[in-house]
Amino acid sequence: MNTVLDIEQIEVRYGGVTALRDVSLKVAPGQAVALLGANGAGKSTLLKTVIGLMRARTGDVRFDGRSIATLPPQRRARLGVGYCPEGRRTFPGLQVRENLMVACWEGRAERERRVEEMFSLFPALRQKADHLAWQLSGGQQQMLAIGRSLMGRPRLLLLDEPSLGLSPVLTDEVIGRIPAIKQTGTAILLAEQNAAKALAVCDHAYVLQTGKVVGAGPAGELARSADVRKAFLGG
Amino acid sequence: MLALQLLFNAIALGAAYALVALGFVLILNATSAVNFAQGDLVMVGGFGALAFGSLLGLPGIVLLVPLLVVMIGIGFLLAFVAYFPVRKRPPDTVFITTIAAGIIMSNGANAIFGPEPRATPSLVSSGDWQIGGLVVSYQSAAVIIVAAALIVGLHLLFTRTQIGRRLRATAQDRDVAASIGIPVNLMVAATFAVGAALAGAAGLLLSRNFFVSPTDGANYMLKAYIAVTLGGWGSIPGAVIGALIIAAFEVAFPALPALIPALAPYAEAFTQVWSTVVLYVLILLILWQRPQGLFGEAVRARP
Repeated sequence: MNTVLDIEQIEVRYGGVTALRDVSLKVAPGQAVALLGANGAGKSTLLKTVIGLMRARTGDVRFDGRSIATLPPQRRARLGVGYCPEGRRTFPGLQVRENLMVACWEGRAERERRVEEMFSLFPALRQKADHLAWQLSGGQQQMLAIGRSLMGRPRLLLLDEPSLGLSPVLTDEVIGRIPAIKQTGTAILLAEQNAAKALAVCDHAYVLQTGKVVGAGPAGELARSADVRKAFLGG
Repeated sequence: MLALQLLFNAIALGAAYALVALGFVLILNATSAVNFAQGDLVMVGGFGALAFGSLLGLPGIVLLVPLLVVMIGIGFLLAFVAYFPVRKRPPDTVFITTIAAGIIMSNGANAIFGPEPRATPSLVSSGDWQIGGLVVSYQSAAVIIVAAALIVGLHLLFTRTQIGRRLRATAQDRDVAASIGIPVNLMVAATFAVGAALAGAAGLLLSRNFFVSPTDGANYMLKAYIAVTLGGWGSIPGAVIGALIIAAFEVAFPALPALIPALAPYAEAFTQVWSTVVLYVLILLILWQRPQGLFGEAVRARP
């Protein structure tokens, strides 16, 4: 299989605790993959290991067929990995526009164009363009964080818990943008506790439980599977 | 007229202090660590200006260019000697390493230039304008212009350029900055370079009228620290305003008996020594009332 991301049997430790054990996962180009699991299952750790904020002790992380496991985060980002962290973490003292601009590595004209693209993807940000990021509501900050992670036109977007702390309406609005992002050719790895909503927009899914992959398959199948329903969808 | 003269003098002094405080707060924001070598960098800037002056025989304003280049180099060096090796240790480790770096600079200056106070070349030439009763020395005017130009330039760098945005982003969230492709260690080192350059420029500006000697660092360090505390720990405009307040106080206090006739009988109490005592008492009072400093942080957590 042609893959944009190929995680091969990684083990990751957090202090003395093993956070991920023997995890393997693949994302094909242009595919949206959901990473499901309860709080503490290791979803965030997995995404951090892909962007390089954490390192795997064993195993390998390949991006476009090339091992990136030993590269620092900034190198991985420049190769085409986008990362939208849990809790949004927009740059609070930068304006909305600056939060977007700072993540672009092209010249001024292209930078302006991409900022405009993000404003079309998330129209709510346009009116707030000159506000400092800390002044935005949680939903707007989430849109900004996603926009920022797309400014480098990544071929893979790591999206960590975008629904966290958002109302159901806002969650739908944010997660509802995923098909549009996918359409631009960006593959997505979406870590989400809200399994139903994640499965609705993704092609494929993995289920993590206490650091191990306990299930995987096409999103539609998992949505119907009795185990997943019991674990995540309330029966 | 006296009040106007005092205001002018205070701005000239405060502008130079502001450069020191700005450099201090930029490094503070980028590393969450206090650079205790900031005052010694001012001293190094003073001696650097002295050395370039005797080497090149040019006015101070021209010497600023090579001095800034050298100070940028010293800033990078400071980052690699006193910050990066201990950056994963608790922040107080950086206190110690920067104090050590400051002591090395201070004693190095003593070994090379000797302990006596020295005056650096004037920025343009000596002389002054008399405007009404106001005496505007070329030196003070040039100090204000140079400091203002550096502050404006810094502001433009931080708000109008990609590298400036990246420096700010790195200071605000280093991990996320790295995850969007910013070479964060380079940005932190560059922040040290900018901080050192500002301190060095202040050294050039201050050492004409106030001389420079190897032990001057502690005094400037304290003023930067107080300015930043007063202005609001981490606030950039606050650092500038804090520096101006300290300078205004230093200039105004000895002149109070002349300004306010009722104080004239107690003129001998308005000395340098009492000035320092009263300044720090006032700072204590302010901090009791406003522990966050006079100016709240521009960046807050959303409630």
